[in-house]
Amino acid sequence: MGRATFILLTALATLGASMSGARLERLSEERTASEELLYLPNGKHLKLASMGQAPLIADVLYLWAIQYYSNYQRVDRFKYVEHVFGDVIAELDPYAIDTYWLGAMILSVEAKDLEGALRLLEKGFANNPDSWLLPYMAGWECHQYGQYRRATTYFQKAAAVPGAPMTVRRVRAGMTHKTGDLRESLRLWQEVANDPEADDHSIKVARARIRDLKVKADITDLEYEIQRFRDRNGVPPASLEELLRRGYIRGVPLDPDGNEYEYDRETGAVSSGSRLLSES
Amino acid sequence: MTTHAATVVAVPPSRTVIVAIALNTFREAIRDRVLYLLLVFAMLLIGASRMMSMITVGNEEKLVKDMGLAAISVIGVLTAVFVGVSLVFKEIERRTVYTLLANPVRRWQFVVGKFVGLLVVLGMNLLLMSSGLIAIVLFRGESPWMLLPAVLMIFVELSIVTAFALLFSSLTNPMLAAVWTFASYVTGHLSWSLLLLKERMPEGGLGRPLCQFIYWILPNLDRLDIKAEVVNGTALPVDFIPLSVLYGFSYAAVILLLACAVFERKDFN
Amino acid sequence: MVTMLEMEAKTSAPAGSTPVIELRGLSKVFRGHLGIGSTTGVDGLDLSVYRGEIFGLLGPNGAGKTTTLKLMLGLLRPDRGEVGLLGGTPRDPSARARIGYLPENPYFYDYLTAEEFLDFYGRLHGMPADERRKRVRSTLKRVGLAGREDTPLRKCSKGMTQRVGLAQAIQHDPELVILDEPMSGLDPIGRREIRNIILSLREAGKTVFFSSHILQDVEMICDRVAFLERGRLHSVGQLSKMISETVRWVEVSIRGALPEALMDSCVNQDDDKSLIRVDRMDDLPDVLASLQETGAEILSVWTRRDTLEDLFVREMDRPAGSEEVNR
Repeated sequence: MGRATFILLTALATLGASMSGARLERLSEERTASEELLYLPNGKHLKLASMGQAPLIADVLYLWAIQYYSNYQRVDRFKYVEHVFGDVIAELDPYAIDTYWLGAMILSVEAKDLEGALRLLEKGFANNPDSWLLPYMAGWECHQYGQYRRATTYFQKAAAVPGAPMTVRRVRAGMTHKTGDLRESLRLWQEVANDPEADDHSIKVARARIRDLKVKADITDLEYEIQRFRDRNGVPPASLEELLRRGYIRGVPLDPDGNEYEYDRETGAVSSGSRLLSES
Repeated sequence: MTTHAATVVAVPPSRTVIVAIALNTFREAIRDRVLYLLLVFAMLLIGASRMMSMITVGNEEKLVKDMGLAAISVIGVLTAVFVGVSLVFKEIERRTVYTLLANPVRRWQFVVGKFVGLLVVLGMNLLLMSSGLIAIVLFRGESPWMLLPAVLMIFVELSIVTAFALLFSSLTNPMLAAVWTFASYVTGHLSWSLLLLKERMPEGGLGRPLCQFIYWILPNLDRLDIKAEVVNGTALPVDFIPLSVLYGFSYAAVILLLACAVFERKDFN
Repeated sequence: MVTMLEMEAKTSAPAGSTPVIELRGLSKVFRGHLGIGSTTGVDGLDLSVYRGEIFGLLGPNGAGKTTTLKLMLGLLRPDRGEVGLLGGTPRDPSARARIGYLPENPYFYDYLTAEEFLDFYGRLHGMPADERRKRVRSTLKRVGLAGREDTPLRKCSKGMTQRVGLAQAIQHDPELVILDEPMSGLDPIGRREIRNIILSLREAGKTVFFSSHILQDVEMICDRVAFLERGRLHSVGQLSKMISETVRWVEVSIRGALPEALMDSCVNQDDDKSLIRVDRMDDLPDVLASLQETGAEILSVWTRRDTLEDLFVREMDRPAGSEEVNR
């Protein structure tokens, strides 16, 4: 075939591929998420099939799960969190602490499934008895949901782990009488983050919790002040800046990503676009 | 001295040449034992549905279909890679390609002929394997016909892989060619990660457009994968199938044209 | 001693012939791995082959014979220079339609039978089905494989494979037949048959170009020859003119008493048989006369002329291009 024919054909084919590709791209965005993870076999069998590369596969699955669960468009995505993290990834690599606390965080914060979160954390602790972080986190989860006695048990467990930093031990002591106080939680996690004895990994975990707590604390505070404004003036404030000007708050907080909080005047709700699982 | 009516000086039309080479390729491919080995393996996988149900969370009936399709897909790819690469290699190594090219055969006709022949072999393979799967599904009392679009998509995917196989085996030795072809298959299924990477790139600057560009250039095989939809009975958008077929064959055509160009300039040493 | 140049000038192109193959300044260098090092394939080849002749390309292994053939057929692209093939270029399918080619030590598709194999190539020449059938059978007969149409190629002996290959090269009645070492690996009967086929091709007005390092075959059938060494042409010319006709010596074999005068000339003795070497043709009558006197029985008289082998060795000893004869 001559040069001209060749170039023509190549151009045509490229055009065909590009155009249909673009259309397909748009179509695929509309496709509902398929239940792909349904067929993830039990971790034990996957381990057998992995031919010795189990930790690697665990990593790959972990990364994929993160992306999967970060996609807020997916409806019904929490159905198999426990299975994915607890049965599959944990089986492949039982010693990766991240698996447990991240899965637990997803379950607790987004799926509002405390029991599931606790089960995951307990499994992690069973596999990694020298990780004080997991029961520590379990304690805070219970605390968030108002189950203080359970929280105390977990904190006890955490403190009993040799090598647990001072903060953990202190928390256990002061926990029995406290009510659910976000600020207190925030402060204590911050102590972990600033504790010179704590290892880098624990600090990283602490920071993630702090992020989440800070957002919650800010929102609670703002909504409280908005309510106060309303009670006083009969109408909600026009914006957060107005709260500032009128002296209800000392400064307009920003979320951990540095973005402003969104205020919906009609409902009086404050929300944050900050994603739970973004890098801190 | 034999006498013939006239010396044959005809340069045959492309159609004739391509068909002749495709037929020859087909005949050669079906004598490759690797083909049958893979086929048998596929049948075993498809038939072992009983065992598979033990290791899954979820529906057993769906499992049979899903595993069956997965087996067909994987075996299909392996066939495309190994048989595709070895066929060109054999021609070059045994120098049958010399005699062939000394005839009034243009180099691109050789590449296209091989491609067509291979597609026919793969198509036949897919037909056999899917018949087996359909039979099993029917036997279990379910409707297998939804599986056919998925098989069609697998065929489209395989045509892209085959085009790559021809391209790479014109470029290098069979070992590397097989590796590269396989790599193109894997890359094709992971290209979605480029979009994710793009999201993490800072705005402005080269990062984002580069990611987008590479994503555009690479074959997107994952998008052609409708196994999950088919098995779950999810409805597909109406123009999905014609668009995908267009995409697949257009992309394969580009790669094939590239392979022709490479082959055209090749020195046979 | 007539120089090569003069000989070539006298014979040059057969009157009125057009070159069937024309190589001008052809060069090809092969680069080593990763661009390191290089091997010369051919260097500055100038060669013309004319219609109706049998041309032999000679040279030791590694001289570049196969490279030359591949360049002629378009299997390799030259770095410099041009190839003219039947008035066109080797990249031209219409030119290739009129040639036939047999590669060196060919493999073929061993899952085909001889007939299927030829049929495939027939298709590639655009032959319609019934034409193909006729030609396949008649060509098989011509190469001596009548009745073997259904033999699968993988069961063929070396000789059979070679013949099938030759059949493939000639079945479409090409004007030019190019053969790379067509006689290699064949037994004497096989070689004779191939030689006869080549001769019959010339009789039919075809041109044959083949490369070989078996000199006896070349000597028997070639019109013109060229010597190739390390990618360069040494000389080209008509065979008959290149091999001198002068007798180098004569060997006389006798039985019986050896005359005293001839004792020195005796090179071998075995029982009552002796072999006498006569260095000059002119001395032969005297030798024969003295033999008659002693009553010895003359068994044979053999003239040792220049052979192609002698020429070959002489050529290879000479540095390439020392005479500008290659026109």
